[in-house]
Amino acid sequence: MTETLAHWAEVFIGVFNQGGQVLLSLMGGILPTLVVLLTAVNALIRLIGPEKIEGLGRAAAQPGIQWYPVRYMVLPFLAVFFLTNPMAYTMGRFLPERFKPAFYDSAVSFVHPILGIFPHANPGELFVYAGIAAGITTLGFGLGDLAVRYLLVGLVVIFIRGIVTETITRIMLARKENA
Amino acid sequence: MDGINKLLVTIGRSVGGVVGTLYQAGRDSVDTTIRNVIPFMAFISFIIGLILATGVGTVIAEGISGTANNIVGLLIVSVVCAIPILSPLLGPGAVIAQIVGTLVGTEIGRGNIPPQLALPALFAINPQVGCDFIPVGLALGEAEPETVEVGVPAVLFSRLITGPLSVVIAYFASFGLYTSN
Repeated sequence: MTETLAHWAEVFIGVFNQGGQVLLSLMGGILPTLVVLLTAVNALIRLIGPEKIEGLGRAAAQPGIQWYPVRYMVLPFLAVFFLTNPMAYTMGRFLPERFKPAFYDSAVSFVHPILGIFPHANPGELFVYAGIAAGITTLGFGLGDLAVRYLLVGLVVIFIRGIVTETITRIMLARKENA
Repeated sequence: MDGINKLLVTIGRSVGGVVGTLYQAGRDSVDTTIRNVIPFMAFISFIIGLILATGVGTVIAEGISGTANNIVGLLIVSVVCAIPILSPLLGPGAVIAQIVGTLVGTEIGRGNIPPQLALPALFAINPQVGCDFIPVGLALGEAEPETVEVGVPAVLFSRLITGPLSVVIAYFASFGLYTSN
C-alpha cells in the first residue's frame, strides 16, 4: 500500500522535475539570445521608422501582373518584419477592397515562417517553429538550414496563397453582384 | 562660441535619442518576453515533462509519430487542419500549432520522425494560421463589411487548396536537409 503510494508520489514529482529541466534549458538556451535580438531589432525598427513602408503599400495597390510579387511577397514580408503581428495587417488599408482578403491571408501566413530568423515578429507564437526546431537541436544538427528553408518556402507559399485567395475573392464578389 | 554650443547640443540630443531608443527597445523586448514568451515556455515545459516522465504521453506520442513520420500522414494532418469549420477553432493564439509542433519536435529528437520531415511538418501543422482572426485582421486593414463577408469564406476555402499544397512544396524543398551523415 505505502509502496504504491510512494511510487505514485515519485511519478508525480518526476513529471515536474522533468518539466523543470526542460524549462531551465529553454531559459538558458534560447531566451537570452531572444531578448538581445528583440532589443536590437526593435531599436532598428524605431530608428528607421515603420511608416517608411507605406509608400510600398500604395505601389502594391496597382493592377497588373508585375505587382503580384510585390503585393503578396515583398509587402507581407516587410509588413510582418517592421510592424509585427498583428499590426502588419494594417498595411491592407492601402489596397483596394478586392485585394484585402488575399493580402491578409498572405501576411498572416508569414508570421510563423519568419520566426526562424526574425523571432521579434511574433515572439508569443515562437513554439510553432521552436518546438520542432528543438528536436533538430536534440539530434545535434544546426538550425540555420531549417530556418532559411522555412523562410524561403514560406515566401513561396504566401505568394501562392495570395493569388489563390485573390482569385476566389474575385469569383465570390462577381457571384454576389449577379445575385 | 555660439556655433560650438549648437554643435554640442545637437550631438547631445542625437546621442540621447539613440540611447533612449535602445533603452526603450530593451524595455519592450523584456516586456514581451515576460508577458508572452516565458508563460508559454512554462506551459510547454510542463507538457514535455508529462510526455517524458509518464506513460500517458507515449500514447499521444505514438499516435503523432505514427502519423507525422511520412509525407502522406502530414498531408492528412494538413487537410484536417484546413477544413473550413475546424480551422477557425484550431487557430486561436496558435496554441494548437505550438503544442503539436512541440510534440513533433520531441519525436524528432527521439528519432521516431526523420529530421528532414521537420520542414513539411512545419507547414502541415499550420494551415489554420490566422483563420480565427480574419474579421479582425481585415478590420485592421480598414476593410468594408461587404469585403469581410466575402473575405472570410474566401480565405477559409483557399486554405483547403493552399494548406496541403504548402506541405507538398515544403516536402520537395526538404531534399538534402539533415541527410548528410
